[in-house]
Amino acid sequence: MIDLNRAGRSRRRSVAPPVVVALVVALGCLTGCSNPPPQGGTPNRPQLDASSEQADVPYDVRPLLEPREKYLGVAVEGAPRSLAPVDAFAARIGKRPNLLAFYAAWGDGYDAQGVRRAWAAGLLPMISWEPFKPSLAAIADGETDDYIEKFAADVRKVNIPVAISIGHEMNGFWYPWGTKQNKPADFVRAWRHVHDVFLHAGATNAIWVWSPNVVNPLRGVPLKPYYPGASYVDWVGMVGYYTRSGAHTFKTLYGPTMRAVRRFSRKPFIITETSSQPGPRRRTDIADLFAGVAASPDVIGFVWFNFTKRADWRLETDPGSVAEFRGRAADGVFGFDVGNP
Amino acid sequence: MEGPTGTPRTRDQRARSPEDGPPTWGASLPWRPLSSWLADRAVTGQGYQPWSLGQGRSKQGYDLPPVPESAWTAAPSRRRAWISRGILFGVLVLQATLSLRLRNTAFEDEALYLYAGHLELDQLLGGPAAPEQFAAYFSGAPALYPVLAAAVDSIFGLTGARLLSLAFMLAATALLCSLTRLLFNERVALCAAAAFAITQSTLFLGNFATYDAPAICLLTLASWIVVRTAHLRGWVACVAGAPVLGLAVAVKYAALMYVPTVTILAVMAALPRRGPWALTRGLALPAVTGAVIAGALRVAGGDHLLALRTTTTQRAAGTADPRELLLDCLEWGGPMFAVAVLGTVLYVRQGRMGEVPGMNDAAVPGRIWRLCLGGVLCGTALLAPAYQVYLHTGVSLHKHIGYGLLFAAPMAGIGMNRLVGAHFRNPQLGILVWVTLLVLGMTQSQALYQAWADSDRIVAALRPEVRPGGRYLVEANSVARYYLREKTRPEQWTSTYAIAYTNREGERLSGEAGFRAAIADGYFDVIVLDRTVTKALDDRLYELLRKSPKYRLRTTVPFRNSNGTGTYRIWVKGATGDRP
Repeated sequence: MIDLNRAGRSRRRSVAPPVVVALVVALGCLTGCSNPPPQGGTPNRPQLDASSEQADVPYDVRPLLEPREKYLGVAVEGAPRSLAPVDAFAARIGKRPNLLAFYAAWGDGYDAQGVRRAWAAGLLPMISWEPFKPSLAAIADGETDDYIEKFAADVRKVNIPVAISIGHEMNGFWYPWGTKQNKPADFVRAWRHVHDVFLHAGATNAIWVWSPNVVNPLRGVPLKPYYPGASYVDWVGMVGYYTRSGAHTFKTLYGPTMRAVRRFSRKPFIITETSSQPGPRRRTDIADLFAGVAASPDVIGFVWFNFTKRADWRLETDPGSVAEFRGRAADGVFGFDVGNP
Repeated sequence: MEGPTGTPRTRDQRARSPEDGPPTWGASLPWRPLSSWLADRAVTGQGYQPWSLGQGRSKQGYDLPPVPESAWTAAPSRRRAWISRGILFGVLVLQATLSLRLRNTAFEDEALYLYAGHLELDQLLGGPAAPEQFAAYFSGAPALYPVLAAAVDSIFGLTGARLLSLAFMLAATALLCSLTRLLFNERVALCAAAAFAITQSTLFLGNFATYDAPAICLLTLASWIVVRTAHLRGWVACVAGAPVLGLAVAVKYAALMYVPTVTILAVMAALPRRGPWALTRGLALPAVTGAVIAGALRVAGGDHLLALRTTTTQRAAGTADPRELLLDCLEWGGPMFAVAVLGTVLYVRQGRMGEVPGMNDAAVPGRIWRLCLGGVLCGTALLAPAYQVYLHTGVSLHKHIGYGLLFAAPMAGIGMNRLVGAHFRNPQLGILVWVTLLVLGMTQSQALYQAWADSDRIVAALRPEVRPGGRYLVEANSVARYYLREKTRPEQWTSTYAIAYTNREGERLSGEAGFRAAIADGYFDVIVLDRTVTKALDDRLYELLRKSPKYRLRTTVPFRNSNGTGTYRIWVKGATGDRP
């Protein structure tokens, strides 16, 4: 018989309470008491709490993972607290970016307002989550689980697609989560732990971006030990800048990293930080960047780092570069409607 | 009972029952209830002339009106008939109201039967053959109730199919009332109907689209027929009752358990009238019923016989704790059974309450007959619980208890009636018992109806994921595939109960190996696990999916059922890259 396994075997209940209740009610009726009979209460079914009742299906990020066109991203001072800097950048380049990268330290709350603001403006939010403290091992051991759970719950609740990059440039030595103070296994454990907490919270609207520094200056650091695994990563990010002294072509700047990654992952690439150091090559660098991304089917876009940090990476410092950027960005392959990829 | 009357009755004054009063509804028919018939034989009018006083003109020159011995009459009347019908109507309205207050999405059995019915219906209308042999494992013939319910579902949806069940259960209550009146009298009948109408199983099944409601209705109808034809020759009962009884068994095989009860009822109802000839009914009725069933099996095919064995007669034993099962039985059917036993004891001790003056000498069925009738009806209530305790299985126990309570209800009616006593001496006791049963029935049916998770949210989450040609692994998928039947075909669905998967090397795998291989190959487009029926397998598959480069957790949907809370996890194919 295909039958009511569960309905027929509800949890063991005491027989006494309902009988007592019934008798009390019956006696109440007999003695003229005005107690009404129970109106079919729900003894075995407490109500779901309000938050879970209103939870809907998370945003389906799959169309955003491997779009036909390229992301045209920007990281700019003041955003997403305000989108005025993004608007100014868009005005300069003649096109609205469709990805906004910004940074959050470990312990910062999820910037729901900023995320909503960005998404409403047609920008996919990408958070570089920086675990300055505690250590990666502590995170992996669950010491900050309350914080992660809250963060994940907020991500789920806001229900806007968001790309998250934990501990970017983990293969470098310059950050506390880098090679100097951590082992690759710590990074992987921490990543997987955070990812699983998000999974448990149902925050499936997150896009996971594993974002090492380009390997050129870090030849002795193999990437594979830092890779959390295919099921934990959606995009492979790359942090790599055109500098006066470094590589000056897309092929030499990103090629070695891409070849190294392709030995253990088939995930699409996204350049999560890039810019060109001001100087005579800047226009060429910009042209090379656009051409390289456009010519690489497995590179889904890039993020222009429009900050002053150790150098002035801002585009607006050089009108010629702005013009070059403007001309290249006009190509229809860059920038698409993230709401309808 | 009816109040004082001014004019003595002259028609059918001797139509008394062995219980409390006479029946009225059938008084104009040549046929009369057993009780009335017995009273006729015993009370010949001698010594029973309550209105014989006051005849003739007095010497004082004025007439004294005749002074009846009793201030009321037990004789039938139109007014009494309408009051009885009104009370029964009220009982039915209450039953319908309490059933319809239960709210939930389709239970997996409802979904399965309706889905199967749609496929069978398609086939009957010239569509493709059903991809599954439902007849091989269903506990009732798939071509009967599922097709009927699916037809209703096609037009009115699940609510319509459930209303069909309500109609069956209301008909069962009405037939029970009539049946009890035939055996005893109308007051007992109304008490029996009022008690049966509010049990958890009656309320639950009145809003539940499975075989049970029609099976109970048909069993009641068969019982009513054999009692109603008690004054006729045995073959009449066979001709009229056996096909209905056979149909009840065909609709739900578990009804087979109650064929002996109906047979004994047929014999006992006829015994006082037809004497030893009544015993022929005990042979003929099961023989004809058996022939009907055998013929149907022969026509329908061997799958049905296999299913009858595996689901009913040779059902595999379970692992439930018998003490737990007994407690469940006590909780779900104990109070009404206790009232029925009380009724049997009081009925055996005293055949009538002596409410009607002059009726004390009227014939009542013998003590042995009364004991046998009460014992059979009450004992029937123990059949399903005893069988399930014996098998250590609690599957659908709360529903099956309802079958037994149907037969115990007449004796419970007597019990309530005797508690109230002659001339409504102790109405508070009857109210106490009935309100107790009412509260228990309401709370239990409500709790049982919330035993499964509301599927609205999981179906809404799945709806955008399904498409023609997709493949879906859903733990217990009958509900999902029922609600999404417009967008999918049966072969697109797989449950976690079983799989036969052929991998890329052509190797045919089953069980966990099959699921693992299918996931590794990305065979399924959507996977839904909820840890409800294959918990251990789910946990292992969850780990596999968590590390799979092919699947991505699409969403989680919380649910609550009688076992607590849980989460549906929906995995979809579509992760980036394809190399681990």
